Amino acid sequence: MLSGRRWLTADRSLRLLTTTAAVSILLMLAALVVVLTVAAMPSIRAFGWSFLVSSDWRPNERTIERPVRTADGKLRIEDGEVVKEVVKVLPPSFGALPVIYGTAVSAVLSLLVAVPLSLGAALFLVRIAPRRLIAPVSFLIEFLAAIPSIAYGIWGLFVMTPFLQTHVEPLLVRLGNHVPGLRWLVQTSISEDGQTVVRMLAPTGRDMLAGGLILGIMILPIITAISRDVLKAVPRAQIEGALALGATWWQSCREMLRYSRSGLFGAVMLGLARAAGETMAVTMVIGNANQIAASPLAPAQTMASLLANEFAEVTSDLHRAALSEVALVLLVMSLLFNVIARWLVVGKRARTAAAH
Amino acid sequence: MNAALYSTYARTKSRIMFGLCVAFTVLILGILGLVTAYLLYLGLETLSLRFFTELPTGDPNAPGGMKHAVVGTAILVALASVVGVPGGIMAGIYLSEYSANSMLGAPVRFVSDVLTGVPSIVVGLLGYELLVVPLGHFNGYAGALALAFIMVPIVARTTEEMLRLVPNSYREASIALGATKARTILRVVLPAATGSVVTGIMLAVARIAGETAPLLFTALGSRLLTFDPKHPFPSLTKQIFDYATGPYEGQKRLAWAGILVLVGLIFVLNLAVRYFSSRSARMAGR
Repeated sequence: MLSGRRWLTADRSLRLLTTTAAVSILLMLAALVVVLTVAAMPSIRAFGWSFLVSSDWRPNERTIERPVRTADGKLRIEDGEVVKEVVKVLPPSFGALPVIYGTAVSAVLSLLVAVPLSLGAALFLVRIAPRRLIAPVSFLIEFLAAIPSIAYGIWGLFVMTPFLQTHVEPLLVRLGNHVPGLRWLVQTSISEDGQTVVRMLAPTGRDMLAGGLILGIMILPIITAISRDVLKAVPRAQIEGALALGATWWQSCREMLRYSRSGLFGAVMLGLARAAGETMAVTMVIGNANQIAASPLAPAQTMASLLANEFAEVTSDLHRAALSEVALVLLVMSLLFNVIARWLVVGKRARTAAAH
Repeated sequence: MNAALYSTYARTKSRIMFGLCVAFTVLILGILGLVTAYLLYLGLETLSLRFFTELPTGDPNAPGGMKHAVVGTAILVALASVVGVPGGIMAGIYLSEYSANSMLGAPVRFVSDVLTGVPSIVVGLLGYELLVVPLGHFNGYAGALALAFIMVPIVARTTEEMLRLVPNSYREASIALGATKARTILRVVLPAATGSVVTGIMLAVARIAGETAPLLFTALGSRLLTFDPKHPFPSLTKQIFDYATGPYEGQKRLAWAGILVLVGLIFVLNLAVRYFSSRSARMAGR
């Protein structure tokens, strides 16, 4: 080594620099987990595991009042106002169940929209599209992925939700009113403090359905792109074998889908992870109500939209900690989905590569 | 008899599914068309040079322009790039050139892939805890930090992939001529891949320029033209969000114009990426 006299040679410093950068990527993930856990600590201490199953989300304490009645059952009125007595004061309390529910349901709805469309488009690109069409169609679908969330949000807010409100949801309401067994479509029950109030839903267009639809549109490109790659990796012999045995076009496609099912499952998982963490578009169309309602016509809230709505205007330290815990739950969930998905997609690819 | 019936059934089903695949693709492209048509239609209505040259007025019906937000986004993206680009490139170099015989390669690759999937709003929370809490108020640096955080793994992975496209014979020739490894990387490998690495950076820039969620409680947004990131800082996306969800018609129209500008920028960057990557793929002999 000619330059061995100095310790810090260009060689060593570049290696050091690049290794530091690589290690800091590992540290970034660690920082994310540690910082969020520390920030969420007060909430974790206060609520424990019940945070995940409680549906109270009360940043401020709430007093429940009831009108005072005289002995003969009439309302007591003083100075022209009904006199009320405080029944009890509910302290601030935080539970993540409504937003976990909202995230899960909106993500599942989005998959119902996106998976059939994406698989169809992926099959189109791999099995049908003429050579000239593949590149432009792929580019357009990938461009769909590059459009920022806020653009989908604005489109959803000003174009999709009015359309849903005037054209789609009235049909669903009629369905719910006239078909027995579908009542849950048009009503929501709110239970608070032991009392349950059933309320008819007035479609606003900004509800779980809208959230699921916009999410579905947003995760189309990622599921399409990955399933296309996964399907492309299916050995030709699989398809030709099926066709040679007399399979129809669709039967040979089914063979492809079956052959690459774990990779496709990975693609769907990645879509699911994307849907669960998507923020802006959902915040703008989902209606932002912290409730658990069976009907897709009821406004809802996801973990991400809750953070977007409340974090900049927290009312107390406990409120901030609770929101941080929601973020932590979201992070852990998306890490889990991503790890499983990448393991499936990459693992499958490695296995098919080894088979060649 | 039954066999013939089955065969008719299978063939009909096959035709239907074939049709569905085509129909679904057309439907997806139709959705894209619908979104962009509305963007162009409503955006072009309001978009004029004033958008870039005027500041917001107090009057909600004649809201002026978004100069402050354009400048704000440019500064935020530049600040994020100052950290994110060198960091990402260095990590990418490590993954491509140094990780062959190390235990670090696989986990770093895996973690960067996973990091690109972390919801951006969660990254915003990290920016809040690291830079807003210590400074005591919302500020532009926190926003830039969150954006840089999103940028690093993207740049790292694309840099790695682009450097891997450089043929090994380049490296061998350089080493054979007596160049050190650092010299080989900096003078031979990187220059051979410059175009495509720049492409990767542009992709990352396009991605963070369109981010809103990480800025909500870091940079927060502002209606003032400011160059000082120590204070609440404007950005195009946050301003669009505020206008779009606000009550005023004039501001909503301005939001459409803003979205058009943003999506136009992203479209151009993506087109450039496509151009560069097809060129560099050809150069790498693929």
